[in-house]
Amino acid sequence: MNAISITVNGQQHSVEVSPDTPLLWVLRDTLGLTGTKFGCGQALCGACTVHVDGEATRSCTTRISTVAGRSILTIEGLSPDGQHPVQQAWLADQVPQCGYCQAGMIMTTAALLAKNASPTDADIDDALGGHICRCGTYQRIRQAVHDAAAKHSSSESKSPAPAAAGGTR
Amino acid sequence: MSALPTLTNPSRREFLKSSATGSAGLLLAFHLPAIAAAADSPEQVFQPNAYIFINPQGDVRLVVTRSEMGQGVRTALAMILAEELDADWSRVKIEQGACDPQYGDMTTGGSMSIRSTWDPLRKAGASAREMLLTAAAETWGVPKSECSAIGGSVIEHKKTGRKATYGQLAIKAASVPVPKDVPLKDPKDYRIVGTKRARVDNQHIVIGEAHYGIDTKVPGMLYAVVARPPVFGGKVKKFDATRALAVPGVKKVFEVPAVEMPPLFGEQRKPDSGHQHYLWGGVAVVADSTWQAIAGRRALAIDWDNGPGAEESTEKQRATLTELLKTPGKELKKIGDPEAAIASAAKTVEADYETPFLAHMAMEPGNCTASVHDGKCEVWAPTQNPNGMATALASVLNLPQSALTIHITLIGGGFGRRLCIDYGVEAALVSRSAGTPVKVIWTRDDDIRHDYYRPISHHRLRAGLDAQGQVTSWLHHIAAPSTDSTFLGGELPDTGGTEVAGTGLPNGTVANYLLQQSFLRTAVPRGYWRAVDTNWNHFAVQCFMDEIAAATGKDPLALRKQLIATKQKPAGAADNDSDTPVNVDRLLGVLNLVAEKSGWGKPLPSGRGRGIAGLYGFGSYVAHVAEVTVAKDGTLRVDRVVVAVDCGQVINPDLVAAQIEGGVVFGLTSALYDEITIQDGQVQQSNFDGYPMLRIPDMPKVEVHIVPSHEAPGGIGEPGVPSTAPAVANAIFAATGKRLRRLPFQTQELATT
Repeated sequence: MNAISITVNGQQHSVEVSPDTPLLWVLRDTLGLTGTKFGCGQALCGACTVHVDGEATRSCTTRISTVAGRSILTIEGLSPDGQHPVQQAWLADQVPQCGYCQAGMIMTTAALLAKNASPTDADIDDALGGHICRCGTYQRIRQAVHDAAAKHSSSESKSPAPAAAGGTR
Repeated sequence: MSALPTLTNPSRREFLKSSATGSAGLLLAFHLPAIAAAADSPEQVFQPNAYIFINPQGDVRLVVTRSEMGQGVRTALAMILAEELDADWSRVKIEQGACDPQYGDMTTGGSMSIRSTWDPLRKAGASAREMLLTAAAETWGVPKSECSAIGGSVIEHKKTGRKATYGQLAIKAASVPVPKDVPLKDPKDYRIVGTKRARVDNQHIVIGEAHYGIDTKVPGMLYAVVARPPVFGGKVKKFDATRALAVPGVKKVFEVPAVEMPPLFGEQRKPDSGHQHYLWGGVAVVADSTWQAIAGRRALAIDWDNGPGAEESTEKQRATLTELLKTPGKELKKIGDPEAAIASAAKTVEADYETPFLAHMAMEPGNCTASVHDGKCEVWAPTQNPNGMATALASVLNLPQSALTIHITLIGGGFGRRLCIDYGVEAALVSRSAGTPVKVIWTRDDDIRHDYYRPISHHRLRAGLDAQGQVTSWLHHIAAPSTDSTFLGGELPDTGGTEVAGTGLPNGTVANYLLQQSFLRTAVPRGYWRAVDTNWNHFAVQCFMDEIAAATGKDPLALRKQLIATKQKPAGAADNDSDTPVNVDRLLGVLNLVAEKSGWGKPLPSGRGRGIAGLYGFGSYVAHVAEVTVAKDGTLRVDRVVVAVDCGQVINPDLVAAQIEGGVVFGLTSALYDEITIQDGQVQQSNFDGYPMLRIPDMPKVEVHIVPSHEAPGGIGEPGVPSTAPAVANAIFAATGKRLRRLPFQTQELATT
């Protein structure tokens, strides 16, 4: 087993695991980041969704060897204080029931809004159609995505884009 | 956003530490490192009962003794306590109680959590409030009657304008005798109960910091998966671990013994009852990580002894059930002379219905962490049934209950699956053999193929009508395997239950009624699936009512009103909570409300239709109207589901709405997609591809309308489910004129092109 270098939530880690190990289990068992959930192991439910270089990605079927050197973002790293517009909207609309699927839902929504500031219902169906919530919170999820989009775009109009935020002021 | 209550998870060890030092006469405290530890010696904490703790700093800690699995019980039960206590909701600290005899039955099921705690928690809160009032009156030298709890954890003496916080009164209150009878609030004075409050878990969930059973990590813990017999009732014959042990990280491979497990809820079972409550054993692979354990299991070579269960298939089961309906079943209820009445009826209506085996498929797959060593057993279990798990662990491990510690974790969906205790017993056996703490994880394949399934069922309904179209006889014959017999053996109703919930109407409202049951023997284990028997019986009954309406040219809503307007309580209240009388006015109330809100009777375009179903169950009254569109190619879309709910006193309306919204999705998923099928004694489905779930593109608009009420609270976790499938089936008929009598709906039958 050779060490594989990955960046998770801005921190570099060197992990010694078999190269076919799914990213999911490296996050959960090796790094102790259990916010990313195991649901199906076959990219059928979306519970394990993280960002790999900004793309919503199913970590349960992503071999660790394919993400060496790439930047991974998990629910724990989405915002420093839980104040990401998607997280805020999820709270305002009281989306979660058991909550197990919601990290995946939130990560996919955050990736969607980064590319599409005001998604239509069809865009939401497209982005989140690969996710399952057994508790059936879909109606609130849809509302929260729209609410997060509204918040996201209003906060962007007030402040510079994130890339510039740490720079000039 | 205003301040929110905080949620903490006490550890059982700290509980034991503080209870060991607790002074006599005081009920036990949880000692929490999160809260100013030095100040919390038992002498300095006001602990009027097992649920409430107030320290001189004013921290109000409330203990919840049911399992949180998404229904919001940690929020709702704490709200009840805080209401009568007049506590400052934004500052309470809420704790999950570990399994402990002082809490009595901690089972979370049957939509019972609020129903079973409403009185004791209100009394616990009120009792603490009265003691604080006494403490304030004594401190100020004024009559207690002049003092009042004004909310926000403050007592006031209005005449003198003096105020004291609960923290200031805590030490004095601790010396006040616990009052016997305490006044409970008039609902008009509620400040917390009945208001929308945020779920206390959600703030942790959205940042990935909510810890479910599967997230448990304890020092020295290894990870395991178990290869279980693919056929129900099968066993390990022999296995070769050589290749598995060669997988890097795999530490141990061993056989998990097959063991008999006691009943789930403390029942007594007859010897030789023929029950099927066994852990069938398997081969455990213990490794440094989950993935290594999974890789190790793949490398195992196992010979199974499949046993007689290997002969079973869904097709054979369906054929047997069809046969069973041809001869009379066991007579469970008879009013009048139903056979004579139907023989002489002016008109008869007959229909057969069927529903399949179903799996629970909670998003958090099965798992349990256990540490068994030195005559002790500690488990971290996502369980709905800690008491049953304690009984089973004690029995299987041959340990006294005092040697057990059961931590109840947050649960990523229960739906009844986690009333069973197999996964906890198995984890304990694996830890014992491994000699280390072990987290046993079930893959999705394990979870779906080793469930306790909602049973398959077939129904024959017959009704006799007089010349005016009045229903004069109603005969319902159910053929199904029994759920309870999995755990208790025998055939129902010999063993206590009857599994006829949902047959309640029109039982008792027609002059001649017959309910019969026939039993299918099967090795497929049956369990409790959200709303249990109400689902399949209610589906048949509510669809059949629609068929009678169509046969007599009546409006389906009008027929229902006519059937229940006789104002009789159904004889024997064939329901799982016969302690709550059926109130016909409340049932009519939700039917009328759902009709009004859904636009019942208003015309719809061609290809669209509305269907109705109404339920009394779990102490609540719930009616659904579904609106569907059926395309010419048979494609079915559920556009909208309107639900009216009378669940008595509402604790938190947002939780009620959420449970109904989720219940509709649960019901729709089963109606539209799912069926567990058996071939050669094995479940054929292995993941969400073969057992689909409703997803966001197919989510209908769900509207929930709650009837204001101060009646005793009813259940809400389950009653949103059962009416969903029949309301949709009836809507399909309204849209197309075709009856779909089998679940899941075979929509290809709807194609007209």
